[in-house]
Amino acid sequence: MSDIEGSPGSSMHGVTGREPAFALSVASPMVPTDTTAKFDLPVDSEHKAKVFKLFSFANPHMRTFHLSWISFFTCFVSTFAAAPLVPIIRDNLNLKKQDIGNAGVASVSGSIFSRLVMGAVCDLLGPRYGCAFLVMLSAPTVFCMSFVSDAGGYIAVRFMIGFSLATFVSCQYWMSTMFNSKIIGLVNGTAAGWGNMGGGATQLLMPLVYDIIRHAGATPFTAWRIAFFIPGCLHIIMGILVLTLGQDLPDGNLSSLQKKGDVAKDKFGKVLWYAITNYRTWIFVLLYGYSMGVELSTDNVIAEYFFDRFDLKLHTAGIIAATFGMANIVARPFGGYASDKAAQLFGMRGRLWVLWILQTCGGVFCIWLGRADTLPVAVLAMILFSIGAQAACGATFGIIPFISRRSLGIISGLTGAGGNFGSGLTQLIFFSTSRFSTAAGLTWMGVMIVACTLPVSLVHFPQWGSMFLPPSKDENKSTEEHYYSSEWNEDEKKQGKHSASLKFAENSRSERGKRVDSAPTPPNATPSQV
Amino acid sequence: MAATGLLLGLILALGCFSEICVAIISFSSLQTTLVVTVSHPRRLLRAGEDKITVRWGLNQSLPAGTDSAYKTIKVQLCYAPISQVDRAWRKTEEHFSKDKTCQFKIVKMPYTTGNQTLEWTIERDVPTATYFVRTYALDANDHEVAYGQNTDAKKTTNLFEIQAISGRHVSLDIASVCFSVFSIVSLMGFFFVEKRTGRKAQQ
Repeated sequence: MSDIEGSPGSSMHGVTGREPAFALSVASPMVPTDTTAKFDLPVDSEHKAKVFKLFSFANPHMRTFHLSWISFFTCFVSTFAAAPLVPIIRDNLNLKKQDIGNAGVASVSGSIFSRLVMGAVCDLLGPRYGCAFLVMLSAPTVFCMSFVSDAGGYIAVRFMIGFSLATFVSCQYWMSTMFNSKIIGLVNGTAAGWGNMGGGATQLLMPLVYDIIRHAGATPFTAWRIAFFIPGCLHIIMGILVLTLGQDLPDGNLSSLQKKGDVAKDKFGKVLWYAITNYRTWIFVLLYGYSMGVELSTDNVIAEYFFDRFDLKLHTAGIIAATFGMANIVARPFGGYASDKAAQLFGMRGRLWVLWILQTCGGVFCIWLGRADTLPVAVLAMILFSIGAQAACGATFGIIPFISRRSLGIISGLTGAGGNFGSGLTQLIFFSTSRFSTAAGLTWMGVMIVACTLPVSLVHFPQWGSMFLPPSKDENKSTEEHYYSSEWNEDEKKQGKHSASLKFAENSRSERGKRVDSAPTPPNATPSQV
Repeated sequence: MAATGLLLGLILALGCFSEICVAIISFSSLQTTLVVTVSHPRRLLRAGEDKITVRWGLNQSLPAGTDSAYKTIKVQLCYAPISQVDRAWRKTEEHFSKDKTCQFKIVKMPYTTGNQTLEWTIERDVPTATYFVRTYALDANDHEVAYGQNTDAKKTTNLFEIQAISGRHVSLDIASVCFSVFSIVSLMGFFFVEKRTGRKAQQ
């Protein structure tokens, strides 16, 4: 197994397209169809699907898509299952505000590490086992909720359940083995968005299950414990489905994945170096912490907030809280779509502006939500906030593929980790102390979103410019080729290792927007043939 | 002329009425006319098992007729200040609509003159905390007009503690373990069976 590519984080090949890719299908001349293959969908030479047929369950491509996103969805359901039941849990376990806040921080912190490990696991065992292992090994942690009797136990169990959010990595990895890279952007974006919806669905599901169990005769302090059996059983069901119905590759053979020769193995140290020395990586880590991060934080606090502030019943608060997470079904893809449309007209500058506008609007609506005194206004503000934040998540991943070609995997992984880190930090500062009421916490979180979105104006690409500055005037520096080959040193270039980067550079010329036609042919553009 | 007079009179009356309404829904406007005592078998009470005995009645030193407006009595279990620290969902507020101090109803019954006694088994959804008992007297419109509590104005004396049920059950714990073991065993089972068939196929 020594020739497997794959060091943690670099294994996310194909994660969001090498082109502004929210395309639904790839036409034949661009990617030739393998006519000898007998699949339900047209496939390319690697037998990856060229078409994304949403409502099909055909084996293996679309079946993989559905198994994958539903597993991710299930993990979101169990990670945030406690949130709508907090009004009951806090009385049973005698929790203080700090305990509730710390549990929220714990629930999103575990996955920072588990996502990094998951990349390696997918490389060693394949995404099918990676997903199944995580989902079935985290089922016991969900069942552990029935043993919890104090704040410490509650925080520990929520921390352990949070590890399951690493299914994000297996989900995206699995998609990239099944779908052609030109449509992988839309596929991954849809899978991620629909998985995130679990955070909303759980706010609806758990109070409903709790009510049913109460009506069956259980006392409140027992009913909420029984309710956790539902997400736990979902874990087991999804794990078994993934193991029995899923397969790693279109052809079903895991070992051939490990013998693949055409993706050159890269040195982890170098890939990491180019990721962390690129300042844009860190700006996007911060930004994602205030789009995805605040989405996760809000999933944790919003049901309790509506329950307490507006004196609603538990399941009413749950329904309102659910609309926050469920907006993901359209909001995240919309963000990616808006980013692509802006790129068509204004190039990369358009993408940056769209991201800034969406995320800042999200922040402003969050401020409004914290200050809303009446229920209808609060609900409206919350819905607008959710659309802004989730569309910003989609728009972020419209830009990430262009930061680096060599280190795309690690940068995507770091950005994802930044989301969880931002969530933990926000919950720690604003929702774990009695200094701020939850309403004030939401207001200040909105202010922090607006402030932390400003750094996007500092992101500058020499070949495309930034929000305010034009591209570099230097003839050499202003080419895409120069930017993407600067990640390779002279030795590597001599060996032709940077050929994929050059190919990518050529494809990325679309990020000039309307200026593409007038782009001068860069010197030394033709890559050395390998 | 008469119409304007009527309109003005109506506006004035509405104004007074709303002022009275505003006055009623604020706690500090209530008078302490009731005397409440609570007795309990031990210092730390267990929810679902122990009983408390609540006695209430009009303060005898007040002039007769003070309780003419009282129609209903509402007895509630309320959180002591120590149990409200860092728990904004139990906060004491002036206006009744926002006040969260008293969240458990012991009894609500028609008012009768003289002293009343009630024995109440602590319900199983009462959380672990320190409590006192407060009794409200309500008028015909179901608005609070007077109250009494078994502790002093600062809520420091005569408090009692209640220990909640854990909510855990042995059957639940066993089911939990069974499901967890099933999950791990079936995962390992699948893994080793597939490894073995894979090895067989290669041979």
